[in-house]
Amino acid sequence: MTISRRDIIKLSVTTGAALSIPSVLRAQSTTPAARTVRMVKGNVRIFDPILTTSADTYDHALAIYDTLFGVDANFVPRPQMVGKWGVSDDQKTYTFELRDGLRFHDGSPVTAADCVASIRRWGNADSGGKVIMARARDISKKDDKTFSIVLEEPLGLLIDILAAPGGLFPAIMREKDADRPATEQVTANIGSGPLKFNEALAKPGASFTYDRNEQYVPRKERPDGFAGGKIVNIDRVIWDNIADQQTALAALQAGEIDFLRDPPFDLLPIIENDPNLALQVLNRAGDTIFLRMNCLQKPFNNVKARQAMLHLIDQEAILQAAAGSANYTRTVHSLFGVGTPYTNDENTGWFKKGGDPEKARQLFKEAGYAGEKVVMLDSTEYAVAHNANQIVAAELRKIGVNAELATTTWSELVTRRAKKEPVENGGWSIFVSSWSGANLGDPLGTPFFAANGDKAWYGWPKDDEYEAVRAKWVDTETLDERKALAREMQRRWWDFVGAIMLGNVVPPIAHRKTLTGLIGVPKAVVPMWNMRKG
Amino acid sequence: MALYVLRRLVSTIAVMAMVGIFIFLLLRLAPGDPAAIIAGDTATPEMIANIREKLGLNEPLPVQFAHWAHSILSGNLGISIFTGRPVLELISQRLEPTISLAILTMILSVTIGVTFGILAAWRAGGLVDRTLTALATLGFSVPVFVVGFFLIYFFAIRTRWLPVQGYQPIDHGFGPWLVQLILPTMTLALVYVALIARMTRASMLEVLSEDYMRTAAAKGVSSYSMLFHHALKNAGVPILTVIGLSFAYLISGVVITETVFNIPGVGRLVVDAINNRDYPVIQGVLILASGMYVLINLAVDLAYTLIDPRIRY
Repeated sequence: MTISRRDIIKLSVTTGAALSIPSVLRAQSTTPAARTVRMVKGNVRIFDPILTTSADTYDHALAIYDTLFGVDANFVPRPQMVGKWGVSDDQKTYTFELRDGLRFHDGSPVTAADCVASIRRWGNADSGGKVIMARARDISKKDDKTFSIVLEEPLGLLIDILAAPGGLFPAIMREKDADRPATEQVTANIGSGPLKFNEALAKPGASFTYDRNEQYVPRKERPDGFAGGKIVNIDRVIWDNIADQQTALAALQAGEIDFLRDPPFDLLPIIENDPNLALQVLNRAGDTIFLRMNCLQKPFNNVKARQAMLHLIDQEAILQAAAGSANYTRTVHSLFGVGTPYTNDENTGWFKKGGDPEKARQLFKEAGYAGEKVVMLDSTEYAVAHNANQIVAAELRKIGVNAELATTTWSELVTRRAKKEPVENGGWSIFVSSWSGANLGDPLGTPFFAANGDKAWYGWPKDDEYEAVRAKWVDTETLDERKALAREMQRRWWDFVGAIMLGNVVPPIAHRKTLTGLIGVPKAVVPMWNMRKG
Repeated sequence: MALYVLRRLVSTIAVMAMVGIFIFLLLRLAPGDPAAIIAGDTATPEMIANIREKLGLNEPLPVQFAHWAHSILSGNLGISIFTGRPVLELISQRLEPTISLAILTMILSVTIGVTFGILAAWRAGGLVDRTLTALATLGFSVPVFVVGFFLIYFFAIRTRWLPVQGYQPIDHGFGPWLVQLILPTMTLALVYVALIARMTRASMLEVLSEDYMRTAAAKGVSSYSMLFHHALKNAGVPILTVIGLSFAYLISGVVITETVFNIPGVGRLVVDAINNRDYPVIQGVLILASGMYVLINLAVDLAYTLIDPRIRY
């Protein structure tokens, strides 16, 4: 068997032709969709925003549902679906009138009955909503466009709670959907928001498609946070779920997607050096990483051990390891995070610098620490928290604390953190997570703020004096009153140490430069309105 | 033969039932709580408890199993805890990309792998053999994601010849469908080319050393006829076995390749479901995958009779 020169030429021509087929086919098949925006922002697992606190579900709901009120970028509540509203002289009766032209995506008009049913469903699940429900004597419609909330006692925060940036998304649904129990998922995906969910193109786990709601009547005000005119300038948004970040970045570079939320910090230089891409910080309040300790078990059932952690933690070192880039991180010392209306420096001077292992060692000793195992739940899926865990564990070991990292998945972590037992029986000592600015600016809707022992959020801190101060929050009427109360809460919080802040990360989003008009909100979500492409 | 096929089909049902029971128990005993995942990272214990109650996760295991078994026996694989959609619908959405990738990969792998294997056996010990064996070892050794990202970098980012990621259904046109699958197919085929080439080489070498091959050569039979009419046919059974097992494995989903190229296939579905503890989806996919695995094995066993008349059932 011999191979001639002619055979080689034939083979070369055939191979060349075969290799050129893909690019020819690609040229024929890929039509640039100038009015379609492709975004990679996570994965919507649950559609119903009343069933879950997931940020991705919040993001999905933000597109297809509308709310009665929404907060602007400064956390000030503004009317959204509501056209006019008023409160009686005794401050007990609130009356709301809907704007003209509001329609659900199935064509039916939004009525007061829909709003009443939606408030009730949300109010049964949301922390802030429960306050309204507890005080409400009556929530009922007056006519098709008007409804009222009649209270037993005045509630100065009522409008703030209805705008609820930190709690569950207060979506206005159709009455027949909202009549379902709050624990039963609504999967109809029919709202009255600026975008419509395209059910036919939905591929759970892969991609979801949102079409412009042509019947939507936006407000006249300019867009501002969750408030203002929600004007959709494109025809379609495709929300892709690309599980691998490296692939997502390659797709962004190749122009297959327009937007990537949360690019990993180690890939930022690639984006910065690409002339077609840009980084932008949309969520200026960022995410505050915190460390929660199990206050029911040793050693953190002793306040001195918790105070020791405050002295031990060097936020700058942790942020350097956790996120790497100083451009997108900052230290945080306030219980209320960074850049929220209630951020303050009360009672922070004594631990502010941190990074004092000797003081921490001494306080652990005073707490009677005798070498008990400190189990740190460490989810490898959450990179920033995982990196922070490594540093904290190393620092603890340096001062003689028997710290053990329990590597796990996030789903296992959320199950295990509910256990109140000692570590020997499957319990835990420390876990790391984060809250958005919207959460830390909403002490009523965010369970993190509670310190009522067994009834508190995981970690179960208990301090009666703090709780007495916190209880006053619902009855504050002005921003200044709330700011003063926030200082008082924080003063006490840092004495009993309900949690430790590890730093604030302001993650940038990446987008192609052809995509403009992105709106910033104080939460890890990105509104799909106002964007332009081209 | 008919009796044999019937017996194997009955055993398929038994295998699927065993897999079902095993998976059901394994998932319930593994840590993780779908209610906690549904409720979200910042949920209160009360929210999680309410969802657990609603989903029936507080019921005793035998009761949960009875509900599920009843649903399966009614021909219903259940409803996804998360999306609220029928499991069968979710699986059927994901089957086309996986089957497409599997078929293209097998076509490419068998064509190249068998050819390489025959060439290597024919020139055993020579330069061709050593080169092809080295390439096969490389194909085995380099992780799939490394190959995938290398191909993405060269063909998608540098030259822009091919797309980075995604999938186009075949009803959107043969061209777009094929274009989307070229890189993942090349990535995946590398492993299977190596596997099939090595198996073909080994089997061919064994047959080529038989007396009857020497007799054929002495009688002046051409190299082509010796290799393809005599040796390949006799070496076919183990090659067919490897091809069948490889295809079955591909159909069950290839997670890494699907992840690297963002192909919404069965592999990604089951991994997402495991991360979410979406019990009905995991159970549904694994039961169907086990059924398909057994059926493909049956098809391979039956195919033996086509290439080796000595095999009878």
